[in-house]
Amino acid sequence: MAYGTTTSTTHDSGQEKPQRSFFGLVQRPQNGCHPVIDWLTTVDHKKIGIMYGGFALLFLIVGGLEALLIRAQLFLPENDLVTARVYNQLFTMHGTTMIFLAVMPLNAAFFNYFMILQIGARDVAFPRLNAFSLWSFVAGAVLINLSWFWEAFHGGWFGYAPLSGIDYNPGMGADFWILSLQILGVASLAASFNFITTILNMRAPGLKMMRLPVFTWMTLITSFLIILAFPAITIALLQLMFDRHFGTHFFDATFGGKPVLWQHLFWIFGHPEVYILILPAMGIVSEVLPTFSRKPLFGYPLIIMSGAFIGFLGFAVWSHHMFTVGLGVVATIAFSLMTMLIAIPTGVKIFNWIGTLWGGKISFTTPMLFSLGFIWMFMMGGFTGIMHSSVPVDHQQQDTYFVVAHFHYVLIGGSVFALFSGLYYWMPKISGKFMNEVWGRVNFWTMFVGFNLAFFPMHLLGMTGMPRRTHTYLGDMGWNEWNAWSTVGAMILGLGIASTIIQIIHTCIKGEKCGDDPWDARTLEWATSSPPKDYNFARIPEINARDQVWADKYGKPEEKSGLGQPEAHGIHMPDRSWYPLSASFGLFMVGLGMVFHKRNFLGWDHTLEMAIIGGVIILASIYAWAFEGPRGYHLHPEKD
Amino acid sequence: MKKILRILISSGILLSFLLLSGCLKLDQNQSALDPKGPVASQQADAFYVTLYLTTFLWIVVGGALLWAVWRYRKKKNDDPSELPEQTHGHPLIEVGLILFSAACLVVVAIPTLQGILMTKTLPEEYEEGAITVNVTGYQWWWAFDYPEEGVTTANELVIPVGKAVKLNLRSADVIHSFWLPKLAGKVDLMPGQENFMWLQADEPGMYWGQCAEFCGDSHAYMLFRARAVPEEEYREWLANLKAGPEIPVDTPESEMSADFSDQILHGKKVYMKNCYSCHMIGGKGGVNGPNLTNFGGRATIAAGWMDNNTDNLFRWIKEPHKIKPGNYMWYGVPMKTPGGGMMVMDGLSKADLSDDDIHAVVSYLQTLK
Amino acid sequence: MSATAPTNTGIPNKKLAMWAFLASDCMFFGTLISTHLIYRRVNPDVVIDGSVVPVTNIFDIELTSASTFILLMSSLTMALAVSAMHKHNIKAARNFLLGTILFGSLFIGAQVYEFNHFVHGTDIAPSLTLTNTIFGSTFYVLTGTHGVHVLLGLIWLTTWYFFSFSKKFGEEHVMDVEITGLYWHFVDIVWVLIFPLVYILEYI
Repeated sequence: MAYGTTTSTTHDSGQEKPQRSFFGLVQRPQNGCHPVIDWLTTVDHKKIGIMYGGFALLFLIVGGLEALLIRAQLFLPENDLVTARVYNQLFTMHGTTMIFLAVMPLNAAFFNYFMILQIGARDVAFPRLNAFSLWSFVAGAVLINLSWFWEAFHGGWFGYAPLSGIDYNPGMGADFWILSLQILGVASLAASFNFITTILNMRAPGLKMMRLPVFTWMTLITSFLIILAFPAITIALLQLMFDRHFGTHFFDATFGGKPVLWQHLFWIFGHPEVYILILPAMGIVSEVLPTFSRKPLFGYPLIIMSGAFIGFLGFAVWSHHMFTVGLGVVATIAFSLMTMLIAIPTGVKIFNWIGTLWGGKISFTTPMLFSLGFIWMFMMGGFTGIMHSSVPVDHQQQDTYFVVAHFHYVLIGGSVFALFSGLYYWMPKISGKFMNEVWGRVNFWTMFVGFNLAFFPMHLLGMTGMPRRTHTYLGDMGWNEWNAWSTVGAMILGLGIASTIIQIIHTCIKGEKCGDDPWDARTLEWATSSPPKDYNFARIPEINARDQVWADKYGKPEEKSGLGQPEAHGIHMPDRSWYPLSASFGLFMVGLGMVFHKRNFLGWDHTLEMAIIGGVIILASIYAWAFEGPRGYHLHPEKD
Repeated sequence: MKKILRILISSGILLSFLLLSGCLKLDQNQSALDPKGPVASQQADAFYVTLYLTTFLWIVVGGALLWAVWRYRKKKNDDPSELPEQTHGHPLIEVGLILFSAACLVVVAIPTLQGILMTKTLPEEYEEGAITVNVTGYQWWWAFDYPEEGVTTANELVIPVGKAVKLNLRSADVIHSFWLPKLAGKVDLMPGQENFMWLQADEPGMYWGQCAEFCGDSHAYMLFRARAVPEEEYREWLANLKAGPEIPVDTPESEMSADFSDQILHGKKVYMKNCYSCHMIGGKGGVNGPNLTNFGGRATIAAGWMDNNTDNLFRWIKEPHKIKPGNYMWYGVPMKTPGGGMMVMDGLSKADLSDDDIHAVVSYLQTLK
Repeated sequence: MSATAPTNTGIPNKKLAMWAFLASDCMFFGTLISTHLIYRRVNPDVVIDGSVVPVTNIFDIELTSASTFILLMSSLTMALAVSAMHKHNIKAARNFLLGTILFGSLFIGAQVYEFNHFVHGTDIAPSLTLTNTIFGSTFYVLTGTHGVHVLLGLIWLTTWYFFSFSKKFGEEHVMDVEITGLYWHFVDIVWVLIFPLVYILEYI
C-alpha cells in the first residue's frame, strides 16, 4: 500500500517476471501486496521507523508495569505484594526492558524515520539490513519476555558475576537474558553499520558535514559508540555463558578467575551505553528548541564537538561505576577526574540550549514544553552525576536510592522527555495530523509532576541509608513517607505516559490534518509532504546552507537550495524482501534452542536440533538474500 | 507569565510536600548525613561541597533558563513575520563558560582527592590503639573475625569508641558491600580479592549497617550492627567472647550441673544434633553458619533483621525460609568437593524439629551470654 | 541502491560498512586478547593436576609458526585474487581464491591437530582443556573465536569460488571480492597479533 499518488512500473533490470523467495514457494512481495505482508517485508525506512516506535512504546508499557509493581511493593515497609524473588526479577527485567526494548528502539525509530529525511536521502544504504535490524530486535525482545513464562532473570540488569554464574543462578533466567542481549546486540550493530554508511555516504549534494542537523550528527556519534561499545558486552556475555555451561572459569574466583573482570567488561560497554541513550535525546532537543525559538541553535560547532567529545571520553570513565570495588588509588583518581571532565561538554550543551532560547520568540507548544522540561531535569540529573564523580561522596551514594534518582532524572527526565518531545514534534510529519495541544500539555504536566514526585524523594532515601535492589525495608528506618510519595508519583507518571500513548493512537485515527511544515521549522524533513511519499523527495535538493528549509523561507538568495536533478528513468525503489524476517526468525530459534539446551521446551527436548536448524535458516537466508539482490521498481512522481 | 507562574507554583507545592513529609529529618538509623566518625564526616563534608556548588549552579543556570523562557516568550500581539535576531553563537561566551565549568569542578576535585587519600590506608594519626577486624560476607550474613584477639563473632560488630578499626573485607560467595553509613562509606566484598577500609566511631552507640551490593534473594535482609563502646567495655566483651560459654557446647549431659533446666538441657541436645555441624560456640562446631558464641547478648538476629527475643528466635528457627527466602539454614548448604563434585549439608528442612525442640533450643541459646 | 552509485566519501557503501564492521571486530578481539593477557599477568602459573606446567611444554611453536606462515600465504593469494579481479582475469582470480581456501583450510586443520594434542596431552605436558585451567579458558575461547572467523571466511570464499563459474560473475563483483579480501586480511592481522601475544610471549 503506497502513500501518495504516483504511477509505478515494476521494472526489474532486464527481467519481466518478479522474483520468487523461499525456494520459489512465494513471490517476492511487490506493490499492492497484502498490508500484513507489506509491513512484514518492507524495507522502507519510514515503515521500519514506525514499527520500531510501535514496539518501543509497547515495551515502555511493559517496563512501566514492572516499575509500578516495584513501587507498589515499596509503598509500605515489609510489604508482601510480591516475593523477594519476583521483586528481583521485576527490577532486572524493568532495567533491561527500558534500556534495550524501550529507549534504544525509540531512538532507532527516529533515526530511521528522520535522519534519512534530514540528509535528503531516499533510504538507508542497506534497506534489507535495516529491516533485519528491526526484526532481530523483535526476536530479542520476544525471547527475553518469554522468560516470564519460565523463569525471568533475577540477577539485576547488570548481571554481576559470580551471582549470575551457574552456582548462584542455576535457573534458565540468566540464559534467557544472555541470549536475548546477544540477539539485541546483533540488531543494534547491524543498524549502526547501516546508519554510519548512510550518513557518511548518502547526503544530498552540498550537504557538508557541518551543515548536518544536530540530530543527524548525534545519530552518527551514537552509531559509532554502539559499534565500539557492544563488543565488550558481547564478549562478557560469551564468557559468562561459557562459565555457566561449558565449565570455563572466567569469573570463578575459586579457580583464579576475577569477578571484577565482569564489571570492567560490562561497564566498558555500560558507560558508552548511557551516552548511546542520551545523545539522540540531545539531538532531538537541539532540533525542537531552535524551531520554537525561531532562531538557530546557539553554538552549533561547539554542540557537535561536545557531542563527539562526550562520545570519545565516554570510553574513559567506565570505572566510576566501580569506585567501591577496590580499584586502587591511581585508577580511582584517574576515573574520578575523567568523570568530572566529562561534565564540561555536557554543561556546554545546556548553556548553548539556553543561548538558543535567549533573544528568541518562544512558543510553548507541547514539544517545546517537553524539551524545556528535559533541560530542567537533565540539568538536575547532571548535578547528582557531579556528586557521584567525587569518590568520597560516591562511597556513601553508590548502590543507594540516590543513584536510582540520578539515572532516572537523566533517563526519564532526560531521554524519555526528549523522546516525547520528538513524538509531539514529528507526529504531524509521520501521520499528517496534528496532535491536540491541550491534551498534550495535560500529558506534559502530569508527567512532569508525577516524575518529580516519584524520583526526588529518592535522593533523600539514598542519603539517609536506603540501599538499592532491596525488595523491602523495615518500618522504623524513617523511609516510609518518602517511599509512599514516590509510589504515588510513579502512578501519576504512569498515567501521563499512558495518556500520551492513547493520544498518539487517537491522533492517527481522528486527528486534524496538517500541512508539510506545520511548525515553520528548519530542517529537510519538513520539505516533504506529511506523511512523506514513498520516495521522500521527488528531486534530491542541492544544499547551500545549514537549516536549509529555514534558509529557503527566510534566508539570503545564495543560501536557497537548488532544485536538484530529476531521475531520468524514474526513482529507483528497492524491493521488499522476506529474508530479513526469516534470518531474524532463525536467530530467534538459535537463541531459544540454546536457552533450553539440556532442558525441555514445552515437553520437547530436541532443543539442540532447534538451535542447529535456526543456524541453517540464518545461513540459507543470508545466501538467498545475497543472491536475490536489491532489485526494485521505479516510481514516476506526477509532479515535482 | 502564566507558564512561569505554573512552574513556580508546582515546584513550590512539590517541595513543600517533601519538606513536610519528613520535616527533612536526616538522622535516621542509616543516614549518611549524620556522621559519627572521621571518615563519614569527611564524606558528608565532601557531599555538602557538591551540594552547595550544584545548588549555586541550579540557581544560576536554572534561573537563566526560567528568565529566558519568560523574557523571550512569544507575546500575543507579536508580528508573526518578524524574526528574532538570528544569532549563531558567541565564541567568547562559550569559551568563558567552559572555563567557568572547569573552575567549578576544581572545587569538587579538592575534597575528592582528600577523601581518596584519607581512606586508602589508615592515616598515621589514627594508628594508635587501632584494632583489626576481618570481615567475611556470606549469603546473607556477616562473619567478624578479630585476628589480634583470636575471637570470632557474627552480624554484630563491637568496637571501641575513639579508636580506628581496620577492616579487611573478603567474600565467601558472591559480591557484598559493607555499609555502615554513619561511620564510613561502603566498600565491596569481592570474591577472590581482599579490600581494605577503615572507620572510627567518635561516639558510643548502636550503628546500623546493611549490605549494599545485590547478593541474591535475601539481599534486603542482610543487615548488621556495630556497637561502639568505651574501651573497658570493649575489653570486657572480648574477654567474655574468648572465655566462651559457661560450659563448653559439647559437654555431655551427665556432666552438666543441675542449675540447668530440663528444657535447656534438651535444647543443648537438639543443638548438638542439628546445629553444631554448621555453627560454632566457644571454638567448637562448624563454620558454615554464623558463630553463636555469646549469642544471647546480641541485640538482633537474622543478620540485623529482627530483635533478639524469644518469639523472633522461635520463628527464625522454625521457618527461616519464610523470613529470608533461599535461606541456607533451611535448605542446606551446598559445598563443592575436591574433584568438582557438589554435596549438600542438610538444613532444617530435613531436621523435623518439633515446636518443643525449638523452644528448647531457644532457651539454650538465650543462656549464651 | 547500486553498489557503484556515487557516494559523498567516494568509498562504496559496502566497503565503508565493512570497515565499520572491522572496527567493531577490533574491539571484539581486543576484549578477548585483553582478557587472556590480564589473566596471564594475574595467574602467571598454570597449574594442572597440582603441578605448575610451563606453557612452553604444552605449545608446539614450530607447528604454530608453520601454520601462521600458511595463513599469511593465504592473505597473499587473497590479494592476488583481488588484483586478478581488477584486471578482469576471472580464471586467475578463481585459482587464487582456491589457493586462499586451501591455505585457510590448512591453517584450520593445523589448529584442530594442535588443539587435539593439547587436550590429549603429551609426554612432557599434561592435558590442557577448556575447563582445567584459567589459561585453557582464555586460550581456547580466544583462538576458537578466531577459528570461527576463519571458518566463516572460508565459507564465504568457497561461495565465491563456486559462483565464479557462473556467467553472472563479473564486473559488478570486483568490489565485492575486494570486500571479502578486507575481511580475510583482518582475520589474518588478528592472528598476527595473537601469535606473538599468546604464543611467543610464553617463550620470553
